[in-house]
Amino acid sequence: MEVVQCANYAILFGFKGVLERMGFKKLLTKKMEFSASHRYWNQEWSEEKNIEVFGKSAGPHGHGHNYNLEVTVEGEVDAETGMIINLYELKSVMTEVLVDFDHKHLNEDNPHFKSLVPTTENIARVIWELLEEKLENNPKCSLYRVRLYETQDLYADYWRK
Amino acid sequence: MEKVKIKEYVSLTKTYRFSAGHRLFIKSLSDEENFKIFDTCSNPNGHGHDYSIEVKLTGDIDPETGMIYSLEDLDKIMKLVIEDLDHKRLDIEVPYFENDQPTGENIAKYIWNKIKPSLSDKLIHLKLSETSNSYFEYYEEGNYPYER
Repeated sequence: MEVVQCANYAILFGFKGVLERMGFKKLLTKKMEFSASHRYWNQEWSEEKNIEVFGKSAGPHGHGHNYNLEVTVEGEVDAETGMIINLYELKSVMTEVLVDFDHKHLNEDNPHFKSLVPTTENIARVIWELLEEKLENNPKCSLYRVRLYETQDLYADYWRK
Repeated sequence: MEKVKIKEYVSLTKTYRFSAGHRLFIKSLSDEENFKIFDTCSNPNGHGHDYSIEVKLTGDIDPETGMIYSLEDLDKIMKLVIEDLDHKRLDIEVPYFENDQPTGENIAKYIWNKIKPSLSDKLIHLKLSETSNSYFEYYEEGNYPYER
């Protein structure tokens, strides 16, 4: 079994120690931070109901977080490059996706949240969809998990299979 | 050709914190015997930790609220549990631990059993950290396909 080595990168190498039936799982996780504001608000509901359900998260002007995104990809380690995915490729894909998120008011500036409440769960789901679309061209790796920290005490995990 | 059905998995994990004191001690044994088992954790006057609890919930994202579970409701449930533990000497002030050792394993089980009735199937995993170097996990075997 090949051993994946990767050092001196500001990435977290998610081995997870999982010995799958088919061999070792090879995962790579890259983190990226972005800052955004949002408001929990369902347009179909009255103001009273929104406040009742969402509390202070329904404040009229929104509020912000420093989000931390962890993107994990799964794939085979290329014999020549020693990589599952070129880190520059992953970085540029993540950067492109986050253009509509970083320093934006998600409800106002991001088209995906016009009628979708930008909860941690929904943001993770939208980011998964956008990343999956961009990584489709890369036959060697697939998206494994999106973990989105809203604060250091709250995160959502999202994946499909 | 049959279309492969893709399923989505979502989980939400929130951390709560409390501080408490404890002493690990078997009443039927002498101080020396306790020291052999629990080492410094059996120090007669007890000692304390800053604990953190990571509660992992899963379920479908409600299309109206965009949430798996209301965080405000979760906060309320956890507040009740933490009130009984925070700034307490567990083996003296919390009746449950008069008989069960207040180890990380038992505290995790205690918290799980307290919150499970309210959260039911949504609760899939609980992690209790005693220090930054040790943590304990509690979950039902076979009911934890959500870890990735």
